[in-house]
Amino acid sequence: MKQSADEMQSVLHQLMDLGMAMMANGAEVNRVEDTLNRLGRAYGARQTNVLVITSSIIITMIFPDGQELTQTRRILNPGGTDFTKLEKLNALSRECCARPLTAAQLGSRIQSICSDDMPRSVLWLSSILTAGSFTLFFDGNIPDALTAMFFAVIVCILQEKLAPLCPNRIVFNLLAAMVTGLGIGATVHLLPFLHGDKIMIGDIMLLIPGLAMTNSIRDMLVGDTISGIMRLIESLLWAAALAFGFMAAIWLIGG
Amino acid sequence: MERIVLQLITAFTGSMGYALLFRLRAGLIPAASAGGMASWGVYLLSCRFLEGIFVPSFLASAFAALYAEILARLKKAPATIFYAPAVIPLIPGSSLFYTMQAAVQADWAAFEANGALTAQYALAIAAGMSFIWALCHIQRKLAGI
Repeated sequence: MKQSADEMQSVLHQLMDLGMAMMANGAEVNRVEDTLNRLGRAYGARQTNVLVITSSIIITMIFPDGQELTQTRRILNPGGTDFTKLEKLNALSRECCARPLTAAQLGSRIQSICSDDMPRSVLWLSSILTAGSFTLFFDGNIPDALTAMFFAVIVCILQEKLAPLCPNRIVFNLLAAMVTGLGIGATVHLLPFLHGDKIMIGDIMLLIPGLAMTNSIRDMLVGDTISGIMRLIESLLWAAALAFGFMAAIWLIGG
Repeated sequence: MERIVLQLITAFTGSMGYALLFRLRAGLIPAASAGGMASWGVYLLSCRFLEGIFVPSFLASAFAALYAEILARLKKAPATIFYAPAVIPLIPGSSLFYTMQAAVQADWAAFEANGALTAQYALAIAAGMSFIWALCHIQRKLAGI
């Protein structure tokens, strides 16, 4: 399939968007690189050089006539995990490999997948379920679980209101952990029959960067050492910020 | 016994919570949640026969990874989708908390003990899944996929 250089530039632009969307929704580096490679081939490149790390994507497509196109994209938002979007993006890329779409079509499809966010009610309910479950799991009692569920809602509100104001996730985790920790501390002070430690553990389970850590190890295992190390250090910093936030709260309330 | 049943149930609901947070397709959620319960079951069971927490966590994580690989092939979805919720009950949220509580209280003996536990859990989880992924990779290569 031969197309004008302009069209290929905009296709490449959309491929960057696709790669970025996959990264932002919890894909491993290897999967993103593999997808972009296949798509490059589908769009007629003789060779596609893709480098994805958690903070950047670089693609150079080399066409049979010797023309080379390169674009780079900086990824600033580490994103979350949304397997619904990820599966749709996967399906889109498979469809596109079989029958390449035009840049405009591809762009609008990516846009429509990415704009389909999780309903707030589901986010709240699943956070409540998780925090409550893990409070009981780690030997809290029913009143502890109910308190943890209440603070799970606070965490959701912080994620919605505070996260956009924070420069990065380290600062957010630190502040969110501190606010949550102080709130729980104050509640336990008023209602001394509650167990502050169990409640905090339930809410920690909500903020802990579990998947990022899993992905980082997987990345390293398949040979994407740089990406894996970046993500591992990132997630360790997130976890440390979380720990420091709760520590500060415990210290302030005289734990 | 009661505690074990309660832990298994809450491991199920906790994994389900994470499956919802990760926005799994509705049809995959029961299988993913059952994975969390089963891997905690493997952990509890192996704690009965083995010393310490490293090997039981390793086995539980390896089990979760194997479970994820099998389901991924059955349901035609990436293995991570099943692994991530299934491993959540193994994540050492509790010992991480007690580590930092000990630090705040300057109780360095407790800090050391809990810190070592947290590190062991984390390493065992990583080692368990890496082991299974490596085996599955070899198996796929041998099968010529």
